[in-house]
Amino acid sequence: MLITKKIGSVMIVGGGVTGIQAALDLADSGFFVYLVEKSGAIGGAMSQLDKIFPTNDCSM
Amino acid sequence: MGFEPKIIAFCCHWCAYAAADLAGAARMQYPHNVRIVRLMCSGMMHPEFVMDALSQGADGVMVLGCHLDECRYRDGNYRALDRSDMVVELLEDFGYEPERFNLTWVSSQEPDKFVKAVTEMTVRIKKLGPVNDVQG
Amino acid sequence: MTLCEVTDIAGRAGNFTVTVKEAPRYVDMGKCIGCGDCTEKCPKQVDSEYDAETGKRRAIYVKYLQAVPLKYQIDPEACIRLQNIGTCGACEEVCDAGAINFGDIEKIHRIDVGAVVLAPGFEVFDPTDSGVWGYGIFPNVITSLQFERYLSASGPTKGYLVRPSDSKAVKKVAFLQCVGSRDENLCGNGYCSSVCCMSAIKEAVIAKEHSPGLQTSIFYMDMRTHGKEFDQYMERARETSGVRFVRCRVNGVEKDGSRDDLRLSYINEEGLQVEEVYDMVVLSVGLQTPKHALKLAYNADIKLTGDNFAATSDFAPVQTSREGIFACGSFAGPKNISQSVTSGSAAAAAVSDLLAPARFELSADASFPDEKDVSADGPRIGVFLCHCGSNIAGVVDVEALGEYTATLPDVVYVEQNLFSCSQDSQDMIVERIQEQSLNRIVVAACSPRTHEPLFRKTLKTAGLNEYLVEMANIRNQNSWVHTADPEAATSKAKDLVRMAVARVTCSDSLKSISVPITQKGLVIGGGTAGMIAALNMAEQGFEVHLVEKTDILGGNALNLKHTWSGQHVPTEVAKLVDKVVWHEKIVVHREFEVTAAEGFVGNFKSTLTGRDGFKRTIEHGAGIIATGAEQYIPQEYNYESITRVVTSVQFDKLYELNEVHVRRAKNFVFIQCVGSREENNMYCSKVCCTHSVQSAIGLKKENPNRNVYILYRDMRTYGQREALYKQARKLGVIFINYELHGKPNVTENGLVINVEVWDHILHRPLKLEADMVILAIAIRPMSDASTLSKLYKVPLGGDGFFQEAHAKLRPVDFSVDGMFVAGLAHFPKSIEESVSQALAASARAVTLLSKREVFLDGITAIVDEQNCDGCALCVDVCPYNAITLVDRIADDPDAGKLIRVNQAQCKGCGICQGSCPKRGVYITGFTMEQISTQIRAALAA
Repeated sequence: MLITKKIGSVMIVGGGVTGIQAALDLADSGFFVYLVEKSGAIGGAMSQLDKIFPTNDCSM
Repeated sequence: MGFEPKIIAFCCHWCAYAAADLAGAARMQYPHNVRIVRLMCSGMMHPEFVMDALSQGADGVMVLGCHLDECRYRDGNYRALDRSDMVVELLEDFGYEPERFNLTWVSSQEPDKFVKAVTEMTVRIKKLGPVNDVQG
Repeated sequence: MTLCEVTDIAGRAGNFTVTVKEAPRYVDMGKCIGCGDCTEKCPKQVDSEYDAETGKRRAIYVKYLQAVPLKYQIDPEACIRLQNIGTCGACEEVCDAGAINFGDIEKIHRIDVGAVVLAPGFEVFDPTDSGVWGYGIFPNVITSLQFERYLSASGPTKGYLVRPSDSKAVKKVAFLQCVGSRDENLCGNGYCSSVCCMSAIKEAVIAKEHSPGLQTSIFYMDMRTHGKEFDQYMERARETSGVRFVRCRVNGVEKDGSRDDLRLSYINEEGLQVEEVYDMVVLSVGLQTPKHALKLAYNADIKLTGDNFAATSDFAPVQTSREGIFACGSFAGPKNISQSVTSGSAAAAAVSDLLAPARFELSADASFPDEKDVSADGPRIGVFLCHCGSNIAGVVDVEALGEYTATLPDVVYVEQNLFSCSQDSQDMIVERIQEQSLNRIVVAACSPRTHEPLFRKTLKTAGLNEYLVEMANIRNQNSWVHTADPEAATSKAKDLVRMAVARVTCSDSLKSISVPITQKGLVIGGGTAGMIAALNMAEQGFEVHLVEKTDILGGNALNLKHTWSGQHVPTEVAKLVDKVVWHEKIVVHREFEVTAAEGFVGNFKSTLTGRDGFKRTIEHGAGIIATGAEQYIPQEYNYESITRVVTSVQFDKLYELNEVHVRRAKNFVFIQCVGSREENNMYCSKVCCTHSVQSAIGLKKENPNRNVYILYRDMRTYGQREALYKQARKLGVIFINYELHGKPNVTENGLVINVEVWDHILHRPLKLEADMVILAIAIRPMSDASTLSKLYKVPLGGDGFFQEAHAKLRPVDFSVDGMFVAGLAHFPKSIEESVSQALAASARAVTLLSKREVFLDGITAIVDEQNCDGCALCVDVCPYNAITLVDRIADDPDAGKLIRVNQAQCKGCGICQGSCPKRGVYITGFTMEQISTQIRAALAA
């Protein structure tokens, strides 16, 4: 079988709280991350909630 | 011109300082009497800062930190709360009105609360008048 | 990459080529400074998606004020100019930065990556088409997401609760649960959305805080508050906040008379028809996979479940049907915030496992010139004053500010910029630092919260220490909030610049310290969670030590037969054990327990003691606690005295062995919540409802003539498990609701067991004759959890389970850096969730283990040995146990005491500095001197 070299980058589709967490962890573990978001800004549904997060940790 | 007090506000970097930034982004308007000193946590506030500020002519001092149980550093705001009791006692010992000191909890998402706190403080200090020239 | 959609994924795991379509933004991201002048001038208003159509936005807009990136965008559908060339263009005229680009076009990118993670999220069910409960017909019937916006200070009513039709203050509000969930007739969404019960309670509580006196009622079928501390929250809402909970089926919502009030009719628990009038009705709308995500699934060529969520396995909950493509968040089944964050980390773990050989191949570190030592030079301060287009200069007299600034002590250079944050300004600042030999910089512009990192980088580029810059916030905290009073704003700007100059004068170069990391992991607990975490780390090439108290791996999963989706647990566990035992990177320590621990992030040292007293010491950089949980042994329902009253775990064994009592029995009664959701154990054990329903289905399928009853308080078959509940009812399993105050009574009567319970439908006591009673027992925290808690200084929560650092955003981290939690040790949960958490804990641990050393922020506590008298006040207040008391001179107690700060544990909060009466400890970057100087400068005018 042909062994091709793996690429050290990853694409994350969706810039909500889940995608952001995955992106942060991967970037922190030595991978290059493309974070792809459909709308004009990341933050997803969580940014629409009034009270949930005491500290706004969601920014990159 | 009427009396324009000078107020020093110690703001936690994670909540009140962010709320103040957000108040700006939302173009909320409030009195110009407050000068913000950024701290990493309201628990960083040393009573000496309050006494220093008043002795150098501040008419009021505020400490703004995160809501209780929402401290970035677990319980720094509880320390600020404990210390503020001490500050009030010190103020009385030195002959300052305790109303010149104020402790308020504001989250990073509450620019309205920040604006309300500094507006009310300014009104309160205006009523009290300039800080007395009490020296030790 | 924003405004982007994936249209194709070619290739295979390790080597994909992804096609991404980028829609035009019509705003140059490099030039836009996010000031918002364009939005102010834009004449076109449309409904705001962000406000769930409760408010308006302009055609040029940002999603919300804290948006990242804070760059505006034009909605081409709404923009007057883009619809009709030659018209409008107001934004272009007003934009000082010249960022508007009406000629922007769609771009196609082809990107090579090793793996793809899909996290497209959910949308809420839109009740418009169905018009359910009068939505879209009566203006005061709104969705829960719209209600959320009404509660928000940044929402359409600035947080005042008024109703849409007439802006009347709301006095009575009703929440209707399960709209677009558990309802196949309405929308085909048969599953439970899992999160709406909790969010309705939260909204009711917050609404009551907003408007004292507000009456809130929640109409529901089952309250599904099965998460950690959720039941306590519900009880507090009921007892303290006075939220009313009504279990019923609502029949109708009608307009009450000619007014905009709403009349709700329902059948109450006594079986009577009741009508009540409300000002507002909130529909708790469910979650569903949005169309664009379905398209994404199609483009990515992955399988979906019947409920339209990504299909995954319980033992690999982020792996899709296509290798190398992972799914997480609500796309893989409805999730709350903490579950979503956990699954995000879990996906990272899975990717990291796949691509481990290529780690660090593409991640690049920026390099900077060597730092110049300025400690011996007197301060030479350069001040850069930002106009921010007209945002600052339109209010503050920057000329006057500049003249004033030049008179301040040690200021040798002042320059004004149109935009200090632009790239050419950064280049210019670097040049000025070099040509003017500046060694301290002040930037008077916006907020250090957003822009300090940028200017720090600029200083590094110029060879200056990054901590020698100070920002004066003359925009967010000045020109924007004193727009009407330019004179006061100018004078305040002078104060702010003077304060910044004074502060930076006493700033020092700070070094960030690096701590070496032992690139090994320790996992405590050899159950499913522990094994999954150990394997994931080991597969990535890290040495792992797995400690198991007993002589067998597998933990609680050894008691289980099937997962909720029907996967065979013993097979999967056996596979796991096999992989763990034979993995060359995993050392298994059976019959060992941790008995001592010391150290800190990156450098732990744990001592293991074997059953025979033998000791081993393990050095590790990170640790995962996955010690599981225990079964509750019932004291109630005559469990001790009646032999055919058994626990759910015992029943599974008997059933599997085809034991004679089970085989012969005709009547089975399951009793739920045994030891859960009461008095001192006010939490839901989460898995028991699904477990009993599965057992009941098995019994019925085997012999439809059997009578199977499930006595429950709320059926909590959350998420896609709802299908099991439906199937059980179809098979004729009888569900009988009981309340905490009317628990069933179980007595033995010869050969039969009598079970008495209050029947809510017939309104009389109901007597069941059972051959077998099965108690759905609670999951209890390990009785020895407190030992580990003390050893690693990681906290336990009120229920006795391990407490994570942040319930929502850091669900597997401990507040102690380098320690993580997974599985039942954290809270009762299903296998699938334990696996997800274990992967997440591994991902978080690997963010540390993948590095040789960790760099710590330069802002940290330093002891002033002259001043410190060893009073130890700071030792008690330090939230991170970073301060210890030591002898001033080693082994000489007479020389007095002194504190020592472990900088690897210090977070620079400064609580020590605030509590020190002797100035014996200070925080670099926030020294007493710096802050005092700043105060003095503030009052100097």
